[in-house]
Amino acid sequence: MRRPEGVIHGLFTPLGGGRIKLLIHPGLLCVISAMVAHAQRVLSRFPVPAIRRTAKLLRFPLKMTRPAEALEMDALLVRVAQCQDRAAFAALFAYFAPRVKAYLLRLGAPSATAEDLAQEALLNLWRKAHLFDPQKASAATWLFTIARNLRIDALRREKRPEFDPQDLMPEAGPDADAAISQQDGEGRLRLALKTLPPDQIAVIELSYFADKPHSEIAGELDIPLGTVKSRLRLAMARLKQALGEMP
Amino acid sequence: MSASHDIHHHPDEALLLAYAAGTADEATSLVVATHMHFCVLCRMQGRTLESLGGAMLDELTPAPLAGDALQNTLARLDQVTPYERPRRAASRDGTPAVLRTYLGGDLRDVRWRRMGPRLSFVELFRRRDVTVRLLRGVPGADSGAHSHAGAELTLVLKGGYTDVTGNYGPGDFQIADAGLVHNTVADPGEDCINLSVTHGALRFEKLLQKIAGPFFGF
Ligand SMILES: [Zn+2]
Repeated sequence: MRRPEGVIHGLFTPLGGGRIKLLIHPGLLCVISAMVAHAQRVLSRFPVPAIRRTAKLLRFPLKMTRPAEALEMDALLVRVAQCQDRAAFAALFAYFAPRVKAYLLRLGAPSATAEDLAQEALLNLWRKAHLFDPQKASAATWLFTIARNLRIDALRREKRPEFDPQDLMPEAGPDADAAISQQDGEGRLRLALKTLPPDQIAVIELSYFADKPHSEIAGELDIPLGTVKSRLRLAMARLKQALGEMP
Repeated sequence: MSASHDIHHHPDEALLLAYAAGTADEATSLVVATHMHFCVLCRMQGRTLESLGGAMLDELTPAPLAGDALQNTLARLDQVTPYERPRRAASRDGTPAVLRTYLGGDLRDVRWRRMGPRLSFVELFRRRDVTVRLLRGVPGADSGAHSHAGAELTLVLKGGYTDVTGNYGPGDFQIADAGLVHNTVADPGEDCINLSVTHGALRFEKLLQKIAGPFFGF
């Protein structure tokens, strides 16, 4: 099987930044962070305010499950949003523009187009920065959606229909509890991703980076479509479990 | 037509992933996005899959840009205007905004095209072999037994229907694979209105519909 480029295959994950660096097996970290998240959920519902507050202290180990660099990107994007900080923009550009270009190249865009659209994506980041909410998504996730939509618009010349959150009744919105764990959730998701078997990772990779329906992905991997779907189902169950959602 | 709490049939993981990854075609994306209007579970899963996209982006080996790319982009920052969310007129009958874009208005303003005494439809758009339609049946109306050249995706907007695979109410999403032969019958009560995406032509079993189907563009 083709080893997909780009997915982390290291056994150990470097943790933290600065002076403290720990090496820990991602599977173990996954278990620890799931336990911490569970404790956090239980504490945050406690009827005593002082105990509810300790739930917030527990965020520290969860935060460490995302690379320091990625956390820094969230802060930089907030700076762009709040004070049009150009130095922060330049740092975001240095980190994300080459990744967006790589993403577009993987999806088959010609090199010059990928170069142009990567710059366009970062211009969009500048234009839309005031809409970024670090409680809801990381900078990487936010930029992924920008790059994805830009590609559909520019390369496929189609629209991307999206449900309008303004349509929803207030009671249907995410509750405060969900908002607390959203940010930490991305860290747990990344850890869980590292623990998936290679055959599931391969199907996920092709889902994002090959502009093909799953029937063609099945052909490319030389497995039945049903197997592709069951691998996705298993992978999603594992990821949802890591997020503490019901499978 | 707000979020319903008892949705029993959802898009599968492959469809949600294709939608989140941006590889689903526009027709498929429309029917998945309209389902999300009804379904908080799929909205949550959609967000998770976008986070997964963010993680995948983070892990890609960077492809360096030309040396002057940052300077060029910085020079353009002053020329761009801040993005403003488009303002949409509110729906008068709870039609999901994502669907209103394609209807050019509300569900109640749709100009239905009759196809017999009990069924009507309107075609929203067609791209290559994929067709998006609204279908409407009075209670008890049946579509006629048919199979498909390709998958058929159906989302119930109002009312409900029943076929061999089960019962579908507002917000429910049916994936009928190419092989399935089914006859959908509208439930008693209000008219059943569905958003339907078909890949390739439908194949009707009855002679009359075989003749009439192509005439109506099915
Ligand atoms: Zn759903």
